[in-house]
Amino acid sequence: MSKGIVIFAQNNEYINYAEQACACAGYARKNLSLFDEICLITNTETLEPDETLINEYFDRVIVSDSFQPDNVRLFKDTSDKLTYAPFKNMGRSDVYELSPYDETLVIDADYFIMNNVLDQVWDSDNDVMINCKYRDVSGRHKENIEYIDNFSIPMYWATVVYFKKSDFAENLFTLVSHIKYNYKYYYYLYNCSGNLFRNDFAFSMALHILNGSVAFDVPSLPIEYLNNSFDLDDIYRVNSHNDIIMYCADAERVTNHLLSRFTNMDIHIMNKKAIGRFVDDFLSNGEKV
Amino acid sequence: MADTAEEIKIESSEEDLQRLEKALNFSNTMKTFNLNKNNLKVKTQNLLSYSTAGGSFTVNQSLISFMNFVVSSGKTEISLLDKNDIPIHIDDTEKFLDEVSSLYFEVVNDYYNEYQKLRSSRKIEKVLEI
Repeated sequence: MSKGIVIFAQNNEYINYAEQACACAGYARKNLSLFDEICLITNTETLEPDETLINEYFDRVIVSDSFQPDNVRLFKDTSDKLTYAPFKNMGRSDVYELSPYDETLVIDADYFIMNNVLDQVWDSDNDVMINCKYRDVSGRHKENIEYIDNFSIPMYWATVVYFKKSDFAENLFTLVSHIKYNYKYYYYLYNCSGNLFRNDFAFSMALHILNGSVAFDVPSLPIEYLNNSFDLDDIYRVNSHNDIIMYCADAERVTNHLLSRFTNMDIHIMNKKAIGRFVDDFLSNGEKV
Repeated sequence: MADTAEEIKIESSEEDLQRLEKALNFSNTMKTFNLNKNNLKVKTQNLLSYSTAGGSFTVNQSLISFMNFVVSSGKTEISLLDKNDIPIHIDDTEKFLDEVSSLYFEVVNDYYNEYQKLRSSRKIEKVLEI
């Protein structure tokens, strides 16, 4: 059974996702050991300017120039810098077809693996594993579970998804793709909040439909919680391949920040600009092919 | 009467200010302490995961106690529900108990050491090695 980690990257004018994906791959390679390859799925426009760097961090690159409809989102770099830019996140549903591996661990380019717990996904009995429970590193979001809306279904985080080639996984990705192309309908059906197309929402809806549109449990990843640092946080310092100090936005006043150190624990850093500022540190602490 | 009241007000406001400043400084320290403590707790919960035979188990005192009972009862293989309530066949219970216990001791011991480090210093910059 081949085992691969897949990362997506498509640059926009605001963020260089290619170099972030390289940083992310470097951390995955340094901290995990039971996979065969790390693969980047990207488009020609993203690949060309950073091809040398990409080849240093990825075993395989798959180019997919599929059409990406406009999906503009607000990017925050702490609370004082806000920018609207295109968010090219619609390729995720194609990963079932594109992944060359029997078992695939898909991770977002802003998810930094800093321990080896995710090595436990390989050879799982489950066809799909995805997390519903999360923790906010700043403690602003107190609940463990977020909902698509207060009166809707629980949200599953598509940040890290494991799947193996199977009927269940194939059907799941078919549904995610269907939801993507008919998003407006499902957006109203599930009473979504916000206008942005989110993979988290599409996966949650697809899982709900696939499980018979009733209350359901989807196997979670070996990690108990997805450890989220939201975009109001910032990075203070990158110490090593498993040690980062963050500025965490204070729950009571988000313009104030508290320092917190993360060692030996994965972290999903949503402030993309912050990753960009420290990308050289991330790259030097990660491991190349 | 009015003089006394004014005197008390002036005296207490200086003292209050100092106390308040001290309390607020301590409150900031506590906020950072609590945040770091919570993050250590989440880290520990994430690390207390053990996967075998296609299943994932949350390692805790209940699992260890139950496995200890299983091994003591002389059962060498059992089916056990994992964290997703999927039945998983464990074909060497002694090895399983040994491995989950080791993981538990190692992770909780690390948590203890890091927690002691955190609570022993009021200076967060010292704890975080900034």
